[in-house]
Amino acid sequence: MAWRVLGVVFILVALLSTPASAATVSSIGEQLVCQCGCNQTVAACPDNPCSFADPARATIAQKLAQGESETQIIQYFVARYGEQVLVTPSKSGFNLVAWILPFLALIAGAFVIYLSLKKWVWQGKVQEVEAETQSEKEDEEYQLRLEQELKNFSEKGFR
Amino acid sequence: MAELGYIALLLALLASVYSVFAFIFGKRGSSPALLSSARNGMLVVCGLVSVSVLALAYSLITHDFQVEYVASYTSSDMSFPFLISALWAGNDGSLLFWAWLLAVFGAVVTLQKRDAGRELLPYASTVILLTEIFFLILLLFVANPFVRLNFTPSEGQGLNPLLQNPGMLFHPPSLLSGYVAFTIPFAFAVSALLTRRLGDEWIVAVRRWTLAAWLFLGLGNLIGAWWAYVELGWGGYWAWDPVENASLMPWLVGTAFLHSIMMQRRRGILKVWNMVLIILTFSLSIFGTFLTRSGILSSVHAFADTTMGPFFLVFIGIILFGSLGLLYYRSDWLKSEAEMESVVSRESTFLINNLLLVGAAFAIFLGTVFPVISEAVRGVKITVGAPWFNQVNGPIFLAIILLAGLCSLIGWRRASVSNLMRNFLWPMVAALILALVIFIFGARQPYALLAFFLCAFVLFTILYEWFRGTKARHNIRSENYLKAFFGLIGANRPRYGGYIVHIGIVLIAIGVIGSSFYNVEKEVTLKPGESVSIASYTLTFESRDTFQTQSKTVDSATLTVASGGRLLGKITPSKFLQNNYDQAVTEVAIRSSLIEDLYIILIGWDEGDTATSFKVIVNPLVAWMWVGGVILLMGGLISMWPQQQRLPAQNNEEAKESARKVGDRKSQQKGRSNQRGAVSSGRSSSGARR
Repeated sequence: MAWRVLGVVFILVALLSTPASAATVSSIGEQLVCQCGCNQTVAACPDNPCSFADPARATIAQKLAQGESETQIIQYFVARYGEQVLVTPSKSGFNLVAWILPFLALIAGAFVIYLSLKKWVWQGKVQEVEAETQSEKEDEEYQLRLEQELKNFSEKGFR
Repeated sequence: MAELGYIALLLALLASVYSVFAFIFGKRGSSPALLSSARNGMLVVCGLVSVSVLALAYSLITHDFQVEYVASYTSSDMSFPFLISALWAGNDGSLLFWAWLLAVFGAVVTLQKRDAGRELLPYASTVILLTEIFFLILLLFVANPFVRLNFTPSEGQGLNPLLQNPGMLFHPPSLLSGYVAFTIPFAFAVSALLTRRLGDEWIVAVRRWTLAAWLFLGLGNLIGAWWAYVELGWGGYWAWDPVENASLMPWLVGTAFLHSIMMQRRRGILKVWNMVLIILTFSLSIFGTFLTRSGILSSVHAFADTTMGPFFLVFIGIILFGSLGLLYYRSDWLKSEAEMESVVSRESTFLINNLLLVGAAFAIFLGTVFPVISEAVRGVKITVGAPWFNQVNGPIFLAIILLAGLCSLIGWRRASVSNLMRNFLWPMVAALILALVIFIFGARQPYALLAFFLCAFVLFTILYEWFRGTKARHNIRSENYLKAFFGLIGANRPRYGGYIVHIGIVLIAIGVIGSSFYNVEKEVTLKPGESVSIASYTLTFESRDTFQTQSKTVDSATLTVASGGRLLGKITPSKFLQNNYDQAVTEVAIRSSLIEDLYIILIGWDEGDTATSFKVIVNPLVAWMWVGGVILLMGGLISMWPQQQRLPAQNNEEAKESARKVGDRKSQQKGRSNQRGAVSSGRSSSGARR
C-alpha cells in the first residue's frame, strides 16, 4: 500500500518539476557557474564588480536581444569555458549516470526490501506454524494418556 | 604554558597506550585489577587533554602572541567569547578540541552507571582510546598548536571577519560534538562483534549516545545554515558545498541508524545492517573532517593547506577494513530472528525510511564525488551544483516526510488496511482543505503545493495521534486534559519525543519550501530619497555613512521600510573592511517575521557618487526553519530524558485503581457486571474480583 502511494508521489513530482518559462538574463545566468572562483552562479555572484559575471551578463543580454535561443547561448559558453561552466551536468552521455544512478539505487533497494520482507514474514509464519504443531502434538499425547487413565480408573479403580 | 600543553598531550598519549594494553589484557585475562587500572587510565587521559586545552585557552586569553596559533587567529581587541572560539578556528586547535571532546566522552562512558553493556566496556574503551591515539599522534607530530615563533609579534592577525558572528560560538562545537559522539556507538558495536555479544545489549547501551550525537550533528548543521544565511549574504542557507554535504551525510545515515536499531529491538531483524550503518556513520564523520583538512577542496570551510590528508585516509582505511572484516567474520552470529508478522506494519515503514535516508546520503555522495569520477573517466571537468542536488533530493526528502506521517498511522506488528484508511481520513481531509486555502490565496506552483500538502498531512496525523492518546488517557485516568497531555508525554518519552522531533522536521521543511519556491529578488541602484517596492514593502534609501572602529572601516546605508503606507522601521545593511584582511565583508540587514524575511544586501557604489546598489530579497517562511530547530532540540531532549521503570502490576496501587475504574465504567455502559479485567496493567488485581 505504502509503495503505491510513494510511487504515485514520485511520478507526480517528476511530472510537475519542470515548469517552462521565458528565458531572461537571470534565468540563463542561473545555469552558468561564475568562473571568478566564488562558487556561485553568474546570476548570484556576490562580488561587485566581478571580472567574469559582469561581462557574462552583458553578453547574455546582448545575445538575447539578437534573438538567440537559450540553448544557443548556453552552448556558446560551454564552447568557450568547457562543460564545467554548466551548473548541473548535461543529461546526456556519461553524465546521465549521475542523474539516473540514485533512482536506480533506490529501486534496487526497494526490491531488496521486498524480497527480505517476504522471507521474514514467511519465516515468521513458519515459526508460528511450528509452534502450533508442537503444541498440537503435545495435546495428542496428553489426550491419549488421559483416555488410558480414565479407562484404568473405571476398570480398576484407585491404584 | 604552551610547553605544558604539549607535555600534557605527550603524557596523554602514553597513558592512552597503557590503557589500551591494560583493557585488552585485563579483559582477556579476566583481571579486575588490570581493568580498573585501565579505566583509571581513561580518566587520566581526560584530565591530561583537559590540561592541554586549558593551556591553549590560557595562551589565547592572555594574548601570548609568541605562540604561532595565537598570533594567527587572534588579536588584542577580540572579546572573550571569540577568544575562546579561536580554540576551534584553526586546524591545529580544532584537532585539539576534537581530542578533548573524545577524551571527555570516553571518561563519561567509563563513569556511567550501566546495566547493559558492562561486558562490552573494555573493548569499547579500547576503540575509543585507539581513536584518541590517532588524534594525539596528529597533534604531537603533524599539527602542533603549541609551536612557538622565534620572535613575539606585537599584534595578532585577528580572526577572519567572516567568522566573527555568534554562529562561530555554536556551529563548530556542536558539529564536532556530533562527529565525536558517534565514536561511542561505533566503539560498542566493534566491542559487540569482538565479544560476540550480538543481541540487543550494545544497542541498549548506546541509545542515548546515538541520540545525543544525532542532535548535536543536526543542530550543528542547522546553525551553520542560519549562519550562512545571516552572514554570507547571498540570501540562501545551503549551497550543497562539498563540506556541507560531508556533514549532512553522516547525519542522514545516523538518522537511519536511530530508526533501524528500533527494528532490531522489536523484531530481531537488520542486525548486520545496523552494524553496517554505524560503521558508515562513523567513517563518514571522519571523512568529513578529512575533506576540510586535506587541502583537496577550496571552500569557505577548508582550512589552509595542510599535509594530513594521507593520515586521515589511512585511518579511514583501517576503520573500514577492520570493522567490515570483523563483521564478515562474525556474520554467522548475526542471523535475524525474523519475527515479522505482516508486510503492512509500522516496521515496513521503518525499512522504507532507512532506504530513503541512505538513498539520499548516497545521492549526495555521488553528486559530491561525480566531478572527480567524470574527470577520471572522460577527462572532462564538470560541475554538480545546487540545482542537481535539489532536483534529486527534493522528491526523496518529500517521500521521507510523507513516511513520517504514515508511520504514526500504521500500527506495530500488523495493521489492517481498513484501520489504516480510517486513520488516514481526517488528517488527509484537513490537509486537502489547507492546500485548497493556500491555492486560493495565490500559491500556484504544483511542486510547492504538493510539498505543503504533505507537510500539512504529516502535522495533522501527528496531532491527531496525540489528541487520541491524550483523550484515551483522560478517559482511563480521569485526569483533566492538561494533566493527561503532559502525563502522556512523560510516560512515553521516546515515543512523544519522536513525534515532537518529526514536527520540528516538518516545520524546517515548511521553511525550506517557502523560501525556495516563493522568494522574490530585485537588484536596484538608488539615489538618496529614491524608493523601491518589493512584495508588500516599500524601501526608501536615506543615506550612506562611513565610520571607523578600532579594527575595521565600516560603510553602512540606512533605509526606511514601509508596508501598506505604514512605517515599519529602519534597516541598515553594511559592508566592512577589517585591518589585515583585504576582503570586504557584507553585513546583511534582515527584518524577520514568521511570515517572511526582508533581506537587504549592500552591493556597492561608485566613488564620489551617492547612488548605491542594493539587492533586496523577500524570503517567505524562513523563520520556521529556526523555530523547527528549537522544537527538534526539545523533542530530542524529551526522547533522551530518563524514564522511571514501571513497577510490576501487583504492587501498583495506581493500576488497581484504574482497573477498577474501567471496570465500573464498563459495567455502567453495558449494564452487566464486568467479569474480566479489561486493562493489561490490572491483571492480578482484577483476577481477585471474579
